[in-house]
Amino acid sequence: MGLPAMAANEGIQLCVFDSRRGHQEGQELDKILFFFPSDFPYSVQLSVVGLSEGLITFTRIFSPDAACEVIEEERHSHVFYQAEPDIWMVMIVEKNKDNESDWRCDALIDVLKEAHSLFTMFNGSLQALLDKQPSGELARSRLYTFINDYLSDFYVGKKIQVPSFRDCLKERRTVQMLTVSREVAIEVQSLATVIGTSSLGSIACKSLILFQDLLVATTLSPGDTANMFTYAVLRLTPHALSSNTSSWTYLRRGVSGSSITASSGLLNSRSSPEEYHHGSHDSSMGEQSNRYHMPRPLQRDNWSKGKDGFLVCDIQLNVGGLVYLAPVVWLQQSEEHMYLCIYQHRNLTIIVLIPVCSQTDGEQGIALVKKQLLENASEKIVHVEEKLSRGWGGENAYHVSGYRYLLVDTDKSISRTSPPGKVMTLAKDSLFTLNKLREEVDLEKTRANREKPDQEKNLEICIRAKNNSWIIAKITQGRELYMVMEKANETLLYASDAVEKFSDRYCDGAFSLD
Amino acid sequence: MSGKASSDPSQVGLSGSGALSHVYIQHPPLRCNVPGTQGLYYDDGNKLLLAPSSDQVLSWKVGPSTQSDPPNSDFIGEGPVLSIRYSLDGKLIGIQRSNQEIQFINRESRETFSRRCRPDSESILGFFWTDCPSCDVLLIKTSGIDLLSYEPDLNTLRLVEAKRFSVSWYVYTHESRMVLLASGMQCTIFSGYQFSSGGIIRLPKFEMAMAKAEANHKPVLAAEDIHIVIIYGRVYCLQFDRVSMQLNLYRFYRDAVVQQGALPIYSSRIAVSVIDNVLLVHQVDAKVVIIYDVFLDCLSPISAPLPLLLRGSSVSGRQALQVEDNLTSAYGAMIYGDSWTFLVPDLICDIDNGLLWRICLDLEAIASSSSDVPSVLEFLQRRRSDPSKIKMLCLSIMRAIMLERRPISIITRAIDVLVTSYAHLVKMENAFQGGDRSSKKSQNSGSQSANTSNIVSAESLDETMNRGKSIIKGAESETQQSTIRNLVNVNDNHAKKSTSKASLDSVSDSDGDANLDAMRSNSGESLDKYLSTDLLSSDAMQDVKKNMKHDYLKQSPIESEGLGCSSSRSDSCISNQQEPQIISVAISLDEMYHFVFALVEEELGGDPAYLIAVIVECLRCSTKEKLRVHPNLYMMMIQMLARTNRYSELALFVTNKILEPSKEVALQLLEQGRQNFQIRKLGMDMLRQLSLHHDFVTVLLQDGYYLEALRYARKHKVITVQPSLFLEAAVAANNSQHLAAVLRFFSDFTPSFKLTSDYNRYHTMLIEMS
Repeated sequence: MGLPAMAANEGIQLCVFDSRRGHQEGQELDKILFFFPSDFPYSVQLSVVGLSEGLITFTRIFSPDAACEVIEEERHSHVFYQAEPDIWMVMIVEKNKDNESDWRCDALIDVLKEAHSLFTMFNGSLQALLDKQPSGELARSRLYTFINDYLSDFYVGKKIQVPSFRDCLKERRTVQMLTVSREVAIEVQSLATVIGTSSLGSIACKSLILFQDLLVATTLSPGDTANMFTYAVLRLTPHALSSNTSSWTYLRRGVSGSSITASSGLLNSRSSPEEYHHGSHDSSMGEQSNRYHMPRPLQRDNWSKGKDGFLVCDIQLNVGGLVYLAPVVWLQQSEEHMYLCIYQHRNLTIIVLIPVCSQTDGEQGIALVKKQLLENASEKIVHVEEKLSRGWGGENAYHVSGYRYLLVDTDKSISRTSPPGKVMTLAKDSLFTLNKLREEVDLEKTRANREKPDQEKNLEICIRAKNNSWIIAKITQGRELYMVMEKANETLLYASDAVEKFSDRYCDGAFSLD
Repeated sequence: MSGKASSDPSQVGLSGSGALSHVYIQHPPLRCNVPGTQGLYYDDGNKLLLAPSSDQVLSWKVGPSTQSDPPNSDFIGEGPVLSIRYSLDGKLIGIQRSNQEIQFINRESRETFSRRCRPDSESILGFFWTDCPSCDVLLIKTSGIDLLSYEPDLNTLRLVEAKRFSVSWYVYTHESRMVLLASGMQCTIFSGYQFSSGGIIRLPKFEMAMAKAEANHKPVLAAEDIHIVIIYGRVYCLQFDRVSMQLNLYRFYRDAVVQQGALPIYSSRIAVSVIDNVLLVHQVDAKVVIIYDVFLDCLSPISAPLPLLLRGSSVSGRQALQVEDNLTSAYGAMIYGDSWTFLVPDLICDIDNGLLWRICLDLEAIASSSSDVPSVLEFLQRRRSDPSKIKMLCLSIMRAIMLERRPISIITRAIDVLVTSYAHLVKMENAFQGGDRSSKKSQNSGSQSANTSNIVSAESLDETMNRGKSIIKGAESETQQSTIRNLVNVNDNHAKKSTSKASLDSVSDSDGDANLDAMRSNSGESLDKYLSTDLLSSDAMQDVKKNMKHDYLKQSPIESEGLGCSSSRSDSCISNQQEPQIISVAISLDEMYHFVFALVEEELGGDPAYLIAVIVECLRCSTKEKLRVHPNLYMMMIQMLARTNRYSELALFVTNKILEPSKEVALQLLEQGRQNFQIRKLGMDMLRQLSLHHDFVTVLLQDGYYLEALRYARKHKVITVQPSLFLEAAVAANNSQHLAAVLRFFSDFTPSFKLTSDYNRYHTMLIEMS
């Protein structure tokens, strides 16, 4: 296992460790719950984890509440995320010579956050897994498959590409909504309530309704909605199902077919890290999945559309004699386990979450819920889909000519952006400057939040970039607007007028308070 | 289907006795058994029950209730009476003395004249008075019909036109203005005419089919087997086929007669009544009645056959039962007795005993006998007889199904029925208020005159257009009437109304027709115009005017009826007048809130999901009809969503404007957001979007965003918020710089601020702080 062999993945290291474990001499490896690339020598893994832990401990001396988030080295950026009280996630990204690798640290942390919240959604918290099985075997194997599956989306060719400055007009972990008229909204809501109340007895199902890759309605809390939405856009929507072929998505560019083979090949060819830690079992990944009945919700091509319109999760249908019902997700807000049940009609994706506790008879219960759903709601589903299709403005529906923007509502975890195709037309300089600006704003926000957590920071920054484009950031009452205007007039007055116009027209005046 | 009708003890008081029934006759009947009279005759043109004696005739006005006023009497001289009818203006009495002669008596002058037929070749079958413009009397003879016009100066009848063809017998009802003349071997070939105020319409000749009993025996159709009825303003003819034991239903269009199916018959003798557009088929032998709502072409009965019940006057409880028993023993035997004659449309005359009964529907019993709630509501919404009671019934049904937590789909359909019905009412109301009444009218008259139009009844044009929809079409002009009643009643006090109305009714029913005729002649013009030329528009006249309007509209179907069909509606209106406050059966969304949602909120509050689902459905139905719900419904929704912590849904509801933005909604969000800043922000955003600048600035200040508030106030020129509030907030933040800035702001932009005590006070504070 030599370092040079993995040169391709040298660019990024990602580890998850538990700071309470492995305090005894010789047991240090026990700390590590996950390491990517997994074929790194243990010495290297240990030194990475050791350094990170050291930095965390050190910075805590000055800032007991919030340890370090970012360490910038000459050749690497380290980002830290305290996922759970004792569980840390660290990502180390190598800086390339070319300035393509200019990124925003908060965007990197967002990757860690997203990975963790998706993991939690399907597996529960790491802490709970560790409590359940103190040896850590369960947690490790789950993390191993899950994060590798998750990272498969970041492959470009054979290399992992972390979000760069080119992605500065995107906001991870937010939901993109479809704007609908009141009438249609009521129709959709009516569908949502039918779904919510159509299940057995008084048990209330939760639901998300998506049209294309956009959310239309949800009955989950904003956080759970964002997680479920992210997952849906990654794996469930017709677009995600149909495709490796690249088309548009709000979250990320499509991943080419070759990368999937690459990543899954990587998974299969590798043996588990456990092998090294605990010689007790000679395990291959496959057997382990039997043993722990390993769900791999993020594995590509896992879902397919069944004849009845429901999506089928093919792989784990029958693992080691266990009939696997339906994927189960864990909701943060209600702290409930829910069966995941997805119905798709053309471009409408309906995610129904059925409380696990309500379904004592498992498979049959779910089948019954599905049947009821079809009976009660299918007419409505068709109706709503038609209405939404009719009002659908296409992938460039939210393009505002002259502007490239990102609009974030942090309360609702909602964002809206210029279509990716339009963002691509921006000059590198513009994006580069915006990325820098966003980094500044991130800092400012954290600082303000630390000083006055109960007051919302309002700020506005306009920058004239080298290429004469206007780069604007404006934060008002929990809403953020980032904007690039190229080929615009040179006066600041013009720029601020342009923002005001945009705000009045597309944000209900949220950014034109003064 | 039927069982539950009266098994519910709470209904005993309403339905009288424990017996199951959907239809009843109300005690006491109109008594007209005066000694010395010979037989009873019903003059349906004037709604008079007539009892001739040796030389005079007693007449009882058959009003909405069967209270017996003392009868009027008129001298008619000696002689046999085969039939007797007052002219529509009440000036003449026509008496058929024999099959050769009809005698006419002028009530004022007592002058008489007669009309005879040629004794050798023809005989008189009957006669009736008409309000059609070209003639006054129609004489039906075996050789055809004579259209006669009364010449008051000469006090005689002039022949306007004679139509020659052979007639075996005829059937006429004044409410349809239609006469059917039977001829042919089996009497199955019919000629029909409608003599309405709009003119004379000749129906195409048609033949009714009759099943054959045996090969060589052809049954002959009798007059008593043919019934003309009006249901939802459409003219139908029911033919009882005794061989096949079914009642064939024919519908009359202007240029066609179409058979529309058949109803099964279980008795050798039947009678037909129409009450509030519900068709009652009395199976006389079986002593049961089957009821049908022939609305869409659905011919299945509404409920199981049940007996006709005799019900005492509205006394309650035990006493009622006793009365009931007495009644049953007194009259029980005569129910469906041989002496019963069924009069058009809803009366029963007991000739032997001289009693007149009115048939009534027990809507509660009908409603409770079906579990298909949406259909029941549809049925009820089509009824016009007792609007306030029907309304309460509908509301209580709504509440009940919600409290029973019936599936949302059922609730949705039920709400849909009510909202659609109300939306229709609103549309009619707008049509009237918008003054496009005249255009409506021309549409109607257009349909009359256009040869291509195939429809007999006035509103059936609309009806065909709306065919697919359900409630609406029913009784369009009835809705109009009730609408207007509603309007009329808004500002009226009861007493005034009921008295003035009564008088006007009597006017319009007898010789007040002059008024109506005048209006008719004006038909294209608006009522107001007409009124303004004739009546002073003083305040005092206003009520009269309203009532006139009401009356006019009530009568308007007759006028536009071209085709007759409307007196049933006038009838139902008349029966309405038992109730002084006449309201529509349609339930407004406000009423829906006050009498349904507000009342079930507490009980369903524990399960907000269900109630929210119902409210969403209610919103959906109302949006579809472009109606607005009661604002409190939004409040209720916000409270429930906030209470159950469903922030993301609440946010969705607000962003998508499912909760229509208003100041009240915004304030409610702020109120509910006292614990949840995010919800509060939804309220603030709404205030801002509604440009409620003052409130927005105040809220910003409350939350301590005094600089933002100041900037916003400057931008939107809000000067109504006290400077001291800003200053106080700056002081509270303990920031001398900000305080200085705020102070400076007001000094610069508010003239004379420096002279106020606020300035001095905060200026001193600032000095102390720094």
